Amino acid sequence: MRSRSAWTVFWRTVVGRAYPRILGALREKSWVFFEILLPLLQVTAYVYIYRAIEAPPEFIGFVVLGGAMSAYWLNVLWGMASQLYWEKETGNLELYIVAPTSPMAILLGMALGGMFATTLRAVAVITIGMLLFHVSMTVQSVPVLLAVFVTTLVALYGLGMLLSSLFLLFGREAWHLSNLLQEPVSLVSGFYFPVRALGQVVAAAASILPITLGLDAMRQLLFPAMLEDLRLLPAGVELGILAGLAVLFLILARRALAYFEALARREGRLSVRGQ
Amino acid sequence: MSDSYAIRTEALGRVFRAKRREAKKQKREIVALDGVSFSVGRGELFGVLGPNGAGKTTTIKILATLLSPTSGRAWVAGVDVAADPKGVRRHIGMVSGGETSGYGLLTIEENLWMFSQFYGMDTRAAKARIKELLAVVGLSDRSRTKIYHLSTGMRQKMNFVRGFLTDPEILFLDEPTLGLDVQTARTLRGFVSNWLAEHRDRTILLTTHAMHEADELCGRVAIVDKGRILACDAPAVLKRGLQSEAIFRLRIADLADAHAAVAGRADVSRFAQAVHDEHIEVDLILSGDGALTDVLASLQAAGGRLLSLEKHEPTLEDVFLHVVGHGFEDAQREGGGA
Amino acid sequence: MRANEDRSEALRSLRVATWLGWQVESNWADPFVFAIYSLVKPLAGALILVFMYAVIAKGGLQSSLFPGVFVGNALFIYVPAVLAGISWTIIEDREHYGMLKYVYTAPVNVLAYLVGRGVAKAMVATIAVVMMLLLGTLALGVPIRFGSINWPLALGSLALGSAMLAFFGILLAGVTLVTARHNYGVGEAVAGGLYLLCGVVFPLDTLPTWLSSIGRAIPITYWIEAWRRALLGQRAALFSGLSDGALVGVIAGSTVVVAVLAVLAFRLAERRARAKGLLDMQTMY
Repeated sequence: MRSRSAWTVFWRTVVGRAYPRILGALREKSWVFFEILLPLLQVTAYVYIYRAIEAPPEFIGFVVLGGAMSAYWLNVLWGMASQLYWEKETGNLELYIVAPTSPMAILLGMALGGMFATTLRAVAVITIGMLLFHVSMTVQSVPVLLAVFVTTLVALYGLGMLLSSLFLLFGREAWHLSNLLQEPVSLVSGFYFPVRALGQVVAAAASILPITLGLDAMRQLLFPAMLEDLRLLPAGVELGILAGLAVLFLILARRALAYFEALARREGRLSVRGQ
Repeated sequence: MSDSYAIRTEALGRVFRAKRREAKKQKREIVALDGVSFSVGRGELFGVLGPNGAGKTTTIKILATLLSPTSGRAWVAGVDVAADPKGVRRHIGMVSGGETSGYGLLTIEENLWMFSQFYGMDTRAAKARIKELLAVVGLSDRSRTKIYHLSTGMRQKMNFVRGFLTDPEILFLDEPTLGLDVQTARTLRGFVSNWLAEHRDRTILLTTHAMHEADELCGRVAIVDKGRILACDAPAVLKRGLQSEAIFRLRIADLADAHAAVAGRADVSRFAQAVHDEHIEVDLILSGDGALTDVLASLQAAGGRLLSLEKHEPTLEDVFLHVVGHGFEDAQREGGGA
Repeated sequence: MRANEDRSEALRSLRVATWLGWQVESNWADPFVFAIYSLVKPLAGALILVFMYAVIAKGGLQSSLFPGVFVGNALFIYVPAVLAGISWTIIEDREHYGMLKYVYTAPVNVLAYLVGRGVAKAMVATIAVVMMLLLGTLALGVPIRFGSINWPLALGSLALGSAMLAFFGILLAGVTLVTARHNYGVGEAVAGGLYLLCGVVFPLDTLPTWLSSIGRAIPITYWIEAWRRALLGQRAALFSGLSDGALVGVIAGSTVVVAVLAVLAFRLAERRARAKGLLDMQTMY
């Protein structure tokens, strides 16, 4: 095989792995019902909870935004991190390991490929949420909002890559860990209410999760009338922390993937199936 | 470390340790490889033959960087597999028998293209090569079939194409014809032979427990059992080591005793006879194949009528039985695992 | 004779599948870790609601809505557990373990097998429901008095509701049989929709009329109402005209309807899956 630059292999791998994701979504369209319509109903449930308890109207907007962003968290958890568990079971993981490419490229390809369905879900939730529930969003600064959104995603996907490294070594244990993380993260990240409501200490601890700060910053930028006592930190500070988290998680992910791969090779777990 | 070998191992060992809760009723440690040393030259097709649980797949997994050795060392294309696995991967490809890899919703062509991208292949070049290789294995008309519609044989043909697609320097084939029908297995063996003939600088390490496959394809074969290499040489040399001459078995009618017809002949070095109701069976070892015509003429002159003639040479299975001391079935009955 | 064989086959399938479902659920960890895992997940989900009330509702946890909502939310743990437990079995056995084709070629009662695989999840859910109700009673002021519980209503509606959920799970299993594996399990996705429509966490009449009408056609709505009555002695305004007996009758009747529809739909899906060769398809992407 001709020697190719590492960057060429990296980007071709990303495209190659994203490809089945996009094709799969186009060929089997049942996901539209299960991954868009039904989650929309779930978000609607939280909207009606707030209406039942007579919450201030901006909370409806918080829930709609939280519901949209939760799509990305779920894509990270199930479409990327724990996907390696399935790849191991079908025998694809062995072939990925043997290929002269980076596991981060494979994971990034999965994430970007899933982005199509995820973004469609997020857009559907926001659009329908705004129309149905008369949510009013005022974009204070488009560049800053985009910067927050993109940085949040980079940090979030970096965290996902870090989590996925566990799947190189573990099987069902790691899958159950992903399962376990779903609700607690929804609770402490403020998907459904500003995280400040949990208290300063919990909110600060939860800030290690990129989605916590990302959501808080986006709420400040989209709902400028958001009460001071519901904000965690100024949006600009949150953006800076998110950028730091993005770099940190990507570095940690690279190291963790190498470490767990080596450990899995030593323990003979890279190709164990039926766990 | 010399670069002249494609693959080299030195006292390679691998021990699997069971977790405490799994080990209550079973052995805590399983020795899968026990001091395995061999080398494979560039351009060679090297076979590793042995029953289930012998350590064949463990060997390939170590060389393909899926598993670390617990002792000893191994080099592939001159690169240490434990110290620099990423470096090894630039030189290798792998195909396993019974593989279920790939994505069911994608077509053969799409799956193959995806894998080509993990090796950084240019799309145009990859598609051309896919087309060429699919034609070789007879899957051209199924290139747009989704792989969950494929039969086992077709799937394995696709796996073969995947393994050869990136033109690797060193290819690991782990029981590649497992579960395939005779025709498909023959097609794939032909494919392997032709590829090597056309690419004399490529190397293949093949594991199998199909003796005839190793005999047909391999320049040299290592016979392994219980994690150790028991014999390693060319199949012909291994067979000759067991018995240097061929045995001719003749079934002859209308002759009560063939001994008189062949006794005293200088070109007959060994003679045995079994009398049956309607015929006799004569086993002969001759000084050379050319003596056969004269011996047959003698038997005919004595009134015998030849019913059948077989030439029996030692097979690799005979070698295995001799070296290992039991057959594959016996090994499996003793609880040989995967 | 044939009926005896069929019954014996069904019981055998149920028994083996229950054992298998329990192994799949639990043997990845030691019992302590498994217990923690089984409790943390549903409790975290419940705490979202607790915080929403505590922080935002007028009156906080003393809000008159909170007890009914808490009980509904606790009972609802069964819904994704059973729906997902049964429908996900198809994905697991088909794509993960490659076993579905062997289930179909063996003398197994497939419906009983699917229900058995869901039993383990239901057992784990039961522990979580009990723990949640205890938490609510002891720490959050939910007024459940052990001596005042209407046990016949509680246990009767639980039994009927379990059967109803099992049949819903079979209906979704039929859908799964003919669709690909996506990120979201179909059982959990449908449970998300039911969360809105069944008056679990807010009075059903909060919804627009057309949506609450859909909710009133779903048996789970009545099941949750039965438990609120049994545990809290509360009656939702929307169902004030329905006596306990009538409520149980509605649950029983709708369970029968769901059962018939579910079995028919599943058999139809099976026929389609056989015709199209989907029983061993692999669709992960």
